[in-house]
Amino acid sequence: MKASIPTGTSGLLSSVAESAFAAGVGFLASGILLAVLGKDPIKAFYYLFEGSFGSANNFTITLAYAAPLILTALTFAVGVRAGLFNIGAEGTLYVGATAAVAAGLIHLPFGIGLLFVLIAAGAAGAAWSIPAYLLKSYRGVNEVISTIMMNNIALFAMQFVVLNYLLDPARSDKSASIPVDSRFPTLLPPNLTVAIFFSALVCFGVYYYLWQTPGGYELRAVGLNPEAAKFSGISPRRPMLYAFLLGGITAGLAGAVEVAGTFTPFAIYTGLSNLVNFGFNGIGVALIGRNHPMAIVLAGIFLGALQAGASSVQIAGISFEIVEVIEGMIVFAIAAPQLYRMFRRRLK
Amino acid sequence: MQSRGEEVLKTAAITKIYPDGTQALRGVDFDLARGEVHGLLGENGAGKTTLSKILSGILRPTSGDVFVNGKKAEVRHPKEALKLGVGMVHQHFTLVRNFTAFENILLGTDVNPKGAGASKARQEILALSKDVGLGVELDAKVEDLALGAQQRVELLKMLYRKVQILILDEPTSSLTAPETVDLFKAVRRLKEEGKSAIFITHKLNEVLEICDRITVLRHGEVSGRIEAANADTKTLARMMVGRDVVFDLVKEPSHAGDPILEVSDLVVRGNRGEDAVKGVSFAVRRGEIFGIAGVEGNGQTELEEALSGVRRPSRGKIKLGGLEISSLSNNEIRKHSVGLIPEDRRQMGLILDMSVAENSILGREWERRFRGQGIALAWAKVKDHASRLIRSFEILVKGPDSPAKSMSGGNQQKVVVSRELTDDPDFVLAAQPTRGLDVAASDYIRRLLLKTRDSGKGVLVISADLDEVLQLSDVIGVMYEGKLLEVGPTEKMTRHKVGMLMGGVKE
Amino acid sequence: MSFDVTSVGAISVISLDFMVPIAMTAVGEIFAEKAGVVNIGLEGVMLTSAWFAVLIAWTVNDPYLGLIGGMAMGVAFGALHSVISVWLKGDQIISGVGINLFALGFVPFATFAVWHVSGVYPPVSFSFGRIAEISTPWAPLSYFVPMSVVIAILFWYVLYRTKWGFQIRATGENPEAADAVGIDVEKTRIIAVLIGSALAGLAGAYLSIDVVGQITKDISAGRGFIALATVVFSGWNPLVGLLGALVFGYSEGTATWLAGVPEVRSAIPHADYLLGAIPYIATLVVVAVAIGRSRPPKAVGIPYKRE
Repeated sequence: MKASIPTGTSGLLSSVAESAFAAGVGFLASGILLAVLGKDPIKAFYYLFEGSFGSANNFTITLAYAAPLILTALTFAVGVRAGLFNIGAEGTLYVGATAAVAAGLIHLPFGIGLLFVLIAAGAAGAAWSIPAYLLKSYRGVNEVISTIMMNNIALFAMQFVVLNYLLDPARSDKSASIPVDSRFPTLLPPNLTVAIFFSALVCFGVYYYLWQTPGGYELRAVGLNPEAAKFSGISPRRPMLYAFLLGGITAGLAGAVEVAGTFTPFAIYTGLSNLVNFGFNGIGVALIGRNHPMAIVLAGIFLGALQAGASSVQIAGISFEIVEVIEGMIVFAIAAPQLYRMFRRRLK
Repeated sequence: MQSRGEEVLKTAAITKIYPDGTQALRGVDFDLARGEVHGLLGENGAGKTTLSKILSGILRPTSGDVFVNGKKAEVRHPKEALKLGVGMVHQHFTLVRNFTAFENILLGTDVNPKGAGASKARQEILALSKDVGLGVELDAKVEDLALGAQQRVELLKMLYRKVQILILDEPTSSLTAPETVDLFKAVRRLKEEGKSAIFITHKLNEVLEICDRITVLRHGEVSGRIEAANADTKTLARMMVGRDVVFDLVKEPSHAGDPILEVSDLVVRGNRGEDAVKGVSFAVRRGEIFGIAGVEGNGQTELEEALSGVRRPSRGKIKLGGLEISSLSNNEIRKHSVGLIPEDRRQMGLILDMSVAENSILGREWERRFRGQGIALAWAKVKDHASRLIRSFEILVKGPDSPAKSMSGGNQQKVVVSRELTDDPDFVLAAQPTRGLDVAASDYIRRLLLKTRDSGKGVLVISADLDEVLQLSDVIGVMYEGKLLEVGPTEKMTRHKVGMLMGGVKE
Repeated sequence: MSFDVTSVGAISVISLDFMVPIAMTAVGEIFAEKAGVVNIGLEGVMLTSAWFAVLIAWTVNDPYLGLIGGMAMGVAFGALHSVISVWLKGDQIISGVGINLFALGFVPFATFAVWHVSGVYPPVSFSFGRIAEISTPWAPLSYFVPMSVVIAILFWYVLYRTKWGFQIRATGENPEAADAVGIDVEKTRIIAVLIGSALAGLAGAYLSIDVVGQITKDISAGRGFIALATVVFSGWNPLVGLLGALVFGYSEGTATWLAGVPEVRSAIPHADYLLGAIPYIATLVVVAVAIGRSRPPKAVGIPYKRE
């Protein structure tokens, strides 16, 4: 394959093979675990597949789960490209979703309403990402620690905000719903909305920024070798700030996509129960997608499928959280690329 | 010539092929006698380091055998080598920086530095150190010790382990002249005690001075072995590079003009907060090469970083073409027609995971000439630019899309140099421009620097390579412990004089 | 609302309870990081160990075996992390992410598989009461409090006063130097990780068996991450780590105590959520202030490859 412009896709084939191998390891290990716990792994995997790809409707559920995952994965991936380990998508998503619901309290005409919701969520996400940037840039605080703390702060602070200011007057278990004119338009009821295409578009935008603009070039340069970048006249702070902001925006948008673009009731449940884990799962998506924005679209659909399938796997007496179990196993295999190399040598 | 002692170490037909296919050694036979200092001479990449790593158990040979004291030895690990009495002092010391010298010496032995046997061990080490004349502050942290003292810690570490065969890898590369003298004294004393040493270096004068025998490696093969008494630098040089070495570079007389860079009373702090550059003043004129010689670690790195704007000086002035730049950052300095070639090309000069094309615009990515409409980069233009550099600087690479990490050191340096010189900067700073490069690449880069000078630009070369400074410079200054000891035109700075100054000796 | 000796005593007892898991986990992580291996999956280790401790205690009806089970689960995760990051030379951070993701799913998944209950808080309660207590005028204090002090001192002693401690620190600071003098870098790292993870496992078991008396899917509540922050705060010194854990324990204890004060509850609706954020804000502030002098082991996070 001859790439005429740098796209970050060199070594693509081996990356795909590595991710596929990791997925295989993940399923195998989970299968063993299921068997140990007395469940039938074949049945479980059948339901997983059935629930995600088994029908057109099930596939739209897959896409609905994928839409926010793709965006939170971008948060992590942009961070890695800039040499950062930003695991703050989880909390930033809560903030974005809360801002989206708040923006939805104002009724605006079709289209403009959605735009307002998206801007509010993106801006809130960007703002929420600034403390981690400041702490890193001026105090040298590792972003793993600061973003995790911000996640926990968001978990409590956003519940406080929802309970005190955004609660649905008619129900105590959820916030007010985003009005119809401020939601992503539905393409195929009930689950397929424009959100998945919006997420893919954001991916393309991030890809374009990273590989086709001077700013994105600087971000990648700082991520690969901050000393050389600095010596060549690239100030390391600006790309770092942009990486945090971009990560904040995408995670904030993920919050908006989750409450304005996927399932009814287009609101936040108390306990943030319809928001939790989308940020953490986004890290898995980014790792499976090798931190490349376009591959993340596919990886997002993969994990979205697991989530969709997990809903129907419950029929087999297995709980929904099998998703993170499988995902965790896949990430273990990705953490140790040596494992894949050993496997390939065996094959030869 | 007295006869040699019995053989303590021997290798037979050692071959080493690295996993990436590089053949580093091709059937090397080598031997060492009791009480002998055997020099191992060769250029970078000749296989000296690979051989020494095999002897000290760090690497395993692909084929061939090692014999210690006449017995075949399977040395799979440094600790097995140590058990056999073979110990290596690496060029980059293997010391734990935040441990004291004492703790480093005892590391890996049965003695706990805070435990019962510590005071007895201390007595033993002090006795050893007195014995061979290697004084060390035992309770100082290694990171606070000068490089020469760190090396003494390494040597004591080996001697405390009762090592009989010492492998010294480029032991003088970071030493001053007086420190080198002390080291040689210690090596001679060890020799008298019946210990043996393998002395690895690329410095011709040193092998002649300290060694009994000299083995020369070239391309992984023994290209010659000679008694030191029968050798001279010319013969050794020929064995080393395979042809007569022309030590001269044709140089036109310089036509120096106004100063382009003026440095006055510059003080720069090092990483540990100490003053690394202590009040340096000099000027580089247009059309001249100003060479700063000196053993590495005497403040050159900090000087380079201050001039490049990546380290802020704590005092003094830097003027570039009359403009005060000491408080400017690197990206501001770069707007004033400068070319900056950093000493650490892999770490500071290049982004190894990017392609040659991407590296060719590092720091220049916002320039109009590399952009299309709007904000986007025009990769076609970037590639044309990179291809031009590849052609005009004779860079050996498949094409602009090749990753920088796939290239040889010489070609990597050419990428850096081409990027920094291509826009005809008025002032060029080249720090250690040919360190670690082969003869041909070094020669090419030196010629480029001369050409730059001849076109009327000011060039500052900072180099630990004495020959390079003598060859290139019109004016030479010697840096020692953060100060410029003496500055003078090259005609007045003889090799002998500069060498002494590098060791801090003013005559 | 009254704030007096009684409330200070009450706060202290709660705070010391909160100090214990953070102190033990942080001390264990200091030990592993001193050898050169970082584990950001401590949160997951605590969580899964808390679950496993309850499983064992419930199965054999013995809280002490539960504690041992929790430790064993910690060791198991340490082994997994070692295989990936030491033996296979993988990425320590990604492996840690894997542990956290896995634990996130595994605990509710396995709770459902074993006890057939789902939901946010499985209503399975195995209260054995506090395991062993020292009586105080306010509330009984767990033996784990003095034990974590002893552990911190012991680990400091091992690291800074024993031959083995020197070897561990050399391995994390300059593995080449350790290797050159015959120290087995991989073995040293693996043992340090196993011991460190065992402490995180014990901390998790303490939470589920001793403090809460049941398992919930969010029982660790970010304490593993706070422990990581404590490691940074401590400058990789177990004794300072204990102090850091005390600070974080008090911030959590005070917040918990305040949330129970009726005046606070009536003044701010849902104040408990606002107060719940305090320990994390405190962590950020304390780390930001204290970080200046902190220097991590030089080789931490980098797999050791000999050529």
